[in-house]
Amino acid sequence: MIAVAPMPELTDLILEVGGHELQVCMQCGTCTAVCPWPRVKPFSPRQVIRYMAFGFEGFEQEDLWNCVTCRTCVQRCPRGIDLLEVMRAARAVMLESGSGPRTFSGPLASLRTEGNPWAGERQERYGFAAPRPVPPYDTDKDYLFFSCCTQSYDPRNRRVGTAMLDILNTAGVRYGCLGAAESCCGDQARRIGAQDVYDDVKQQNMTLFEEHGVRELIVASPHCLQTINQDYAKGTELHATHYATFFHRLVQDGHLILSKPIEAKVTYHDPCYLGRHAGEYEAPRELLRAIPGLQLLEMPRNRERSLCCGGGGGGIWLDVPSEERFSVLRVQEALRTGAEIIATACPYCTAMLEDAIKNLDVEHALRVLDIAELVAQSMTTEAGQ
Amino acid sequence: MQERIGFYICHCGINIASRVRCPEVAEYVATLPDVVVSRDYLFMCSDPGQELIEKDIPAYGLTRVVVASCSPRMHENTFRGAVARGGLNPFRCFHHVCVREHVSWVHTDMDEATEKAKTLVRAGVRRVARQADLFPNTFPVNPNTLIVGGGIAGMQAALDIASAGYHVYLVEKQPTIGGHMLQYDKTFPTLDCAACIGTPKMVSVGQNKNIDLLTYAEVEELSGFIGNYTARVRKKARYIDASKCTGCGECTKVCPVDKPNEWDVGTLKRHAVYRSFPQAVPITFVIDKNDRAPCVQTCPAQTNAQGYIALIKAGKYLEATQLILEKLPFPGSLGRVCPAPCEAVCRRKKVDEPLSIRNLKRFAADQVDWDSLPLPPIEKKSEDDRVAVIGSGPAGLSAAYFLARMGYPVSVFEALGVAGGMMRTGIPDYRLPPAILEREIKYIERLGVNLHLNTPIGKDRTVDDLFHQGFRAVFVATGTHGDAKLGIPGEDAQGVMAGVAFLKRQNLAGDARVGEDVVVIGGGAVAIDVARVARRIGAKRVRLYCLEACHEMPAWEEEVHAAKAEGIEIHNTWGPAQILVSEGKARGIEFKRCTRVFDDKKRFSPAYDEAQRQEVCCDTVLVAIGQRPDTSWAEGSNVPLHPRGYVQADERTFATERPGLFAGGEVYTGPSIVVQAVANGHEAAISIDRYLRGEDLLEARPERPKGEQWNPIPDDALPTPRAKMPEIALDQRQGFEEVELGFTEAQALEEASRCIACGTCSECMLCVANCKAQAIDHSMKDEVLNLDVGSVIVATGFDPLDPTPMHEYGYGKYSNVYTNLEFERLSNATGPTAGALLMRDPENRYHFTSPPSSVAILHCIGSRDVNHHEYCSRTCCMYALKYAHLLKDKVGHDVLVYNFYIDMRCFGKGYEEFYRRIQGEGVRMVRGKATRVTDEAESPEEEGKLVVEAEDTLTGKLLRVPVDMVVLCTAMEPRKDTVDVARTFGISIGGDGFFLEEHPKLEPVSTATAGVFLAGACQGPKDIPDTVAQAKAAASMAQALTSLGRVEVQPMVSSIDEDICVGCKVCIGLCPYSAIEFDDRRGISVVNDAVCKGCGSCAGYCPSGAAKIRHFTDRQIFGEIEGLLVARSAS
Repeated sequence: MIAVAPMPELTDLILEVGGHELQVCMQCGTCTAVCPWPRVKPFSPRQVIRYMAFGFEGFEQEDLWNCVTCRTCVQRCPRGIDLLEVMRAARAVMLESGSGPRTFSGPLASLRTEGNPWAGERQERYGFAAPRPVPPYDTDKDYLFFSCCTQSYDPRNRRVGTAMLDILNTAGVRYGCLGAAESCCGDQARRIGAQDVYDDVKQQNMTLFEEHGVRELIVASPHCLQTINQDYAKGTELHATHYATFFHRLVQDGHLILSKPIEAKVTYHDPCYLGRHAGEYEAPRELLRAIPGLQLLEMPRNRERSLCCGGGGGGIWLDVPSEERFSVLRVQEALRTGAEIIATACPYCTAMLEDAIKNLDVEHALRVLDIAELVAQSMTTEAGQ
Repeated sequence: MQERIGFYICHCGINIASRVRCPEVAEYVATLPDVVVSRDYLFMCSDPGQELIEKDIPAYGLTRVVVASCSPRMHENTFRGAVARGGLNPFRCFHHVCVREHVSWVHTDMDEATEKAKTLVRAGVRRVARQADLFPNTFPVNPNTLIVGGGIAGMQAALDIASAGYHVYLVEKQPTIGGHMLQYDKTFPTLDCAACIGTPKMVSVGQNKNIDLLTYAEVEELSGFIGNYTARVRKKARYIDASKCTGCGECTKVCPVDKPNEWDVGTLKRHAVYRSFPQAVPITFVIDKNDRAPCVQTCPAQTNAQGYIALIKAGKYLEATQLILEKLPFPGSLGRVCPAPCEAVCRRKKVDEPLSIRNLKRFAADQVDWDSLPLPPIEKKSEDDRVAVIGSGPAGLSAAYFLARMGYPVSVFEALGVAGGMMRTGIPDYRLPPAILEREIKYIERLGVNLHLNTPIGKDRTVDDLFHQGFRAVFVATGTHGDAKLGIPGEDAQGVMAGVAFLKRQNLAGDARVGEDVVVIGGGAVAIDVARVARRIGAKRVRLYCLEACHEMPAWEEEVHAAKAEGIEIHNTWGPAQILVSEGKARGIEFKRCTRVFDDKKRFSPAYDEAQRQEVCCDTVLVAIGQRPDTSWAEGSNVPLHPRGYVQADERTFATERPGLFAGGEVYTGPSIVVQAVANGHEAAISIDRYLRGEDLLEARPERPKGEQWNPIPDDALPTPRAKMPEIALDQRQGFEEVELGFTEAQALEEASRCIACGTCSECMLCVANCKAQAIDHSMKDEVLNLDVGSVIVATGFDPLDPTPMHEYGYGKYSNVYTNLEFERLSNATGPTAGALLMRDPENRYHFTSPPSSVAILHCIGSRDVNHHEYCSRTCCMYALKYAHLLKDKVGHDVLVYNFYIDMRCFGKGYEEFYRRIQGEGVRMVRGKATRVTDEAESPEEEGKLVVEAEDTLTGKLLRVPVDMVVLCTAMEPRKDTVDVARTFGISIGGDGFFLEEHPKLEPVSTATAGVFLAGACQGPKDIPDTVAQAKAAASMAQALTSLGRVEVQPMVSSIDEDICVGCKVCIGLCPYSAIEFDDRRGISVVNDAVCKGCGSCAGYCPSGAAKIRHFTDRQIFGEIEGLLVARSAS
C-alpha cells in the first residue's frame, strides 16, 4: 500500500464554499446506513466526507454526483450535519475545476440562455396553458403563480400545469403569472454546485419579484418551494406555498369542493422536498382522502422514510442504469400495495416515476398522477353543476 | 480628607497583556485625581504581586486600592486579604475591576481593548473613594446534614458524615434506599455483583445511629441560609407501621391488586401492598394508594366497588359481600336494580367498555348464604337512645341498618303489610324477586332492628307521639307513593289506572288486570315497568307513548331495550290531549305532537304542536308520569313540610328544623334511585349518631373522596368485551320469573379481572386481616417534618431515557427490544427470571421463554446525538461490554453478541483491560451506529428475527444483522422533576439539563447556594466509581462546614434606614428570601442580615429610599457610572 499525505488545500476549498460542517463528522455511519444508495450500489456518504476531510482523490468521481439530496441522512445525523450543504460545496469546488458529469453541460447552458434547463424557448414558458388565458400578475393579485420549468416544458408535466390553473380558476383565486419573464428557481443548478448559474437566475427572479411587488407565491414544485423559502426569502417578505398545501387550504375553507368520485386505489409518494425538506406530509394525504371513492394505501416506506425518486440534486439530468433507479424500486413498492395510481406532488417525481413505469412495462397496472390532476378531476366545476 | 489611591493592573501572563497595553493603562490611571501610585505587574495574584500592595500602603500612605485583573469571582478575596494585611478595611478600601473576562478575552482589537480597560478602571477609581467600612457577620453552623436521595451517592455521603460523628437526615422518595445501582446486576469492570457491594451499604445506612432514614419522603421546601437551613419534609403515608411490620410478606400474599413493579421497570408485577425487592431497606412494606377510584367516588353510597371487584377476582365472595355491606344493606337488590352511575365513569371504557359493576355486585351477593352470614361486631348503645324510622323503603331500612350497626335500638314503622317500600311495591318481580329483598331485610332484622308492619304513623300515632314515647330521634323516609295526575279530560274513566298503584297491586296481591290493548303514558323507569308487567299479565298489545325523544327518555337504556325485545312499541314525542271515553270506559287517547320537553335552562316545560294530532284506540290506559309524596304521616304533628309535600331538611346532614327529626329518601329528594335513598339513610344515621352523642353534625364530618390522580391504564390491558348477562329466552318471559340469570363464576372472575384498579390499593382490607403483627393502618396520613440542618447534599440521580418515541428502534413495538435497565433486571437474581437471560413471550410481556441465540447491543441511544442529548452518557460502553460478558457467561459461549458502537470510551481504571478481556470472549464489535431495528425479513435467515441495520465503518460494508434480542443502551437524562428540585434547593441547571456545579473543575460539588452540595448523576452522567468519589467529596464539604462550626456571611446585604422607613411593607412582599420582617412596635421593616442574600429587590423598589444594599449604594453606583460617562464625553 502506498502511503499518502493529506491534501489540506482541497479540504480548505470545500470548507470555504460552505462545507465547514464536514469537520464535525464523527464517522458513525448513520448517513450511509439510512442512505438509499447502498441498496443499489456501493456508496457511502460517510466515506465521501472522510475523503473530503483529507482532500483525498476518489470521491470526486462518480460518488460525489450520486447524492440526490433526499435529506434522509440529515434527518438522522447525530452531529446535526447538513450533508447536502457539504455535498453542494464539494460539487462547487469540482465544477469550478472543470470536472463534472458531461450530461450537466446541456441543462446548464440552457439555464444560462433560456432560463430553464430543458432547452425550451423562454417564450414558451406558459405555452402549456393554452387555450386558457394566463392572467398577468399585478399588485391587485393575491398570489403569483410561479411555474416550474419541468412542468412548463416536460410534455407529461404540462398536463399537470393545466390542472393547476384549472383548479385556481375554479376556486376563484386571485392570482397572476409573470410569463416568459420568469426563470427557473435554480434549485438543481445550486444543488450540483453551479453557483454562478444559480446566482444569475436568482438575481433575475428577485429583480422581477421586486419590480412587481411580489410577496406571496404559489409554486408548482417543492424544489421551487424550498429554494424560495430557504434562500430567496432571506431578509425579504417573500413567501412561497406549495400547491398541494394551497389546494388543501382551498378545500378546508370551502372554496374548492371535491365531489366527483374517483373509484381507485391510490398510494401517495412523498416528494423529498415537500416531506423531509419542508415537513409537509399530511396536506397531500388529506386532499386525497377528501376525494370521494378514493382509497388511500400506504407504501411501507412513507413520510419521513419515503424513498426518493432519484430526481433531486441533479439526478434527473444523470443517466442512471435502470437497475439502479430509485424510481423503479419505488414503482415496485407501489405495485405491491395493490394501488392503481401512484400520486405525488412534484414534477420530478412525476417524470421519474412515469419513466420507471414505462421501463418496467407496467402501464396497464399503474399510472402516475399528480395530486393536482386528481383534484382537478374530482372538483365541482360550474359547468358540471 | 484627601484620598490616596493605589492602582495595579495585572498582565495575567499574556491573558490580559495580549490585548490590553497594561503599562499604558497604568500610565493613564496615574494621571487621574487622587491616584498616588499606579503600577502594572505580570501576576498580581502571586505573592510578590500581593506584597506590592502590602508595601505600598504604608509607603505611600494609601487609603484606597484598585486592582484590575481577572474576574472578582477568582481573586477578589485574595486582594481583599492583601489590603487587610496592609492595615485597611478590605471592603472600604478595595475595589476589583475585571479586565480579563470583560476585556481581553472578549476583544480582538488591542486599541479598543486598552481604551475599554481605561474606562472601566476610571469607573472603579471613582467608586472606591465612596466605599464604606463593612464587617462580615459570622453565624453558628447547625451540625446536621440533610442528604436528598438514597442511591449510592446519598448512601455513601451519609455513611461518611455519620462515621465522622455527625448527624444525617437521609431523605429518599422511593420506599427503599439503594437507587439505580441496586437495580443492576453486575458492576463493571470487576464484575462484582451490585447487590453484594450495595446491600451492605444499605444495611449500614439503616442501622447507623447517626443516620435518620426517611424513605417514601420528599423535601418540599428549604429555607434559611448556609449553616442554618430548615427543610420541610413530607413523609408519605406507608399505611404500614414500620415499628410493627416484621417484613414477613403475609399481606402481599392476599393482595388482589396487581401492577407493574417500578423497581423491575415493567418486567414483573407487584401487588398494591409491596416491597420493591427482598433486600429493601427499610424492610417495611408499603401500600400504594392513588385517589379513590371514580366508581367509588361516584357511587352515591360510596360503595367500594374497586374493593369488592378485587375480592371477587380473588374468589373471596363472602369478603366481597361484607365489604359491600359496609356501605349498603342491599347488595343483592341493588345488584339487580341499580342504574349503576359507577359504570358511566369506569375508566376501563378508555380501553374497551366499562366493567359490569352492578352484575358483579349481584354475583357476590348471590354466592353467600344469607342466613349464616356473620354479623359484624356491635357495641350496644344505651337503651334510652332509641331511634324511630318511619317507612321501610331503602332510605328507612338503610338508616335503621347503619344505626343498628352502631348499636342503637331502632324501630321501623311501616304502613303496609310488607317491608321494602318501593323496592317491594314498585319494582316488578321479574327484575327484583321478592325473595332476594326478603333475605336482605331479614339480615337487617338479625342486627336487632324492630320492624313494625301495618303500623302507619299519622292519624293514630303521630310523630309527636313517637318523641313522647321516648324515641330520641326520628327519621322520616316515607317515599313518594302517590301517583301524579295528567289533568286532562277522561282521566277518571274506567280502564284508566295510575302506574305506581298498578304495580303495587300486582306486586302485593298479584291481581292487577288489564285489557287486551294497553297504552302506557310516560317515559321513565316506572312506565317501562308498567308496560312490561301489563304484557306479562295478558295484554296482547302494549304501546308506550312519551313526550321525550328516544335519547331523552329518563328510563334506563337497558330496560328500554328489554321492553322493545318483549314486543312493547315505543312512540316518542307525543303528549296526551284527552282520553276518549265511551260509556264511561276509556276507548282511546288523542295525542298531540310534543316539540320540546325541556326549556333552555333544562327545566321541564313541554311545548306542543297543537295541529299535529292522532287518535289511538285502546281499552286500558296506564299513567306513569311521576310520583308525589303522601303526607298522611305528618298529620297532627309539627313538621316542616314543603308545599308539595316534601320534607325540608339539610342537604348534608338530613336534619330538619325540628331537633331530633331527620328526613331522607324520596320524601326529601323526590323520585330518585334506590342507591341514592340508601346513601341518604346512611348519612342520616351518621347525623343521628352525632346528634345523640351531642356532637356537632358537621364538624370534621368526613368529606366525599375526590381527586383524579389515578393509576395509569396498564399497557397489558387489551380490549376484551364486557361480560354479557345471561337471560331467560324471550319466548319464556310470560310470568314473573327473573329475566336476568346472573353471571356464572367463570364470567364473574373474568369480568372482575378487567378492572384496572384506578385507586391501586382497593381498600379491600384483606391485608389487614392477614397481618398478624397488626401493622396495617389504612387511615394513616402523610406526616410533615421540619428538620434543622447546616448543610444539604443533593444526590437525586438520573432518569433513563424512554426510547419509545424513537420509532426506528422498535422499542414498545417488538417485544424483544429491551432497554439497558430492563436487561439489568433480567440478569438480576431478584428480577423476573431470577437472573436467567430469556426472551420475552410476544403474547405476554411478563412471561419469558427461552434464551436468545443472538443479541445486538446498540450504543448511544439518545446520547451523542444532537436530536436528543448531545452529551455522552459515559457509562454505556462499559455496561455494554458487561452485557456481552453476561450473555456469554449465562447463555453460553455460542451466543452471538454484537456491539454497535460509534467510539469505545473505556477511560477509567481497569476499563481498557476489561474491553480487551470481553473482546477475547468473542463479542463482535461493529463500528457504526445502528440506525434501525426491523422485523421485515429480506431473506430466509431473517425470518422471525429482529434485523439491525448499520454501516460497519471500518469495512465500509452495510450490515443487516438478524438477532433474537436487541438491547438499547439509553442515555442518562436529568430527572423529570429537575426544575422543581433546583428551585427548592436554589441550584442552577446547566445546558445539558443536569444540576450545575459552581465551577466545572475547581468546585465540582458546590452549587450557587452556599451550603448546598451535589453528588452523583444529578450533576451529570457518571459511573459508580465517579459517583462514590463525588459523594465523598460532598461529604467532606459538609463536614468541613460542620467541624468549623461557624460560617462567615458576606456583609453586602440590605439594610433599611429606620429613620427613613415609613413601614409600607412593599419590600416584605418583594423579598424572595423572606429576609424582611415588620417590627410592629416601631412600625418599620427590618432586614435579617443572616437570611438576606443582597439581591437588591427591596432597594430597587423602596419608595422612600430607606432600603439600601451595603456596598452597592446609589452613591457608589453613580460614582461608577460617572466614571464611565466621563470617558465617553472625553473621547
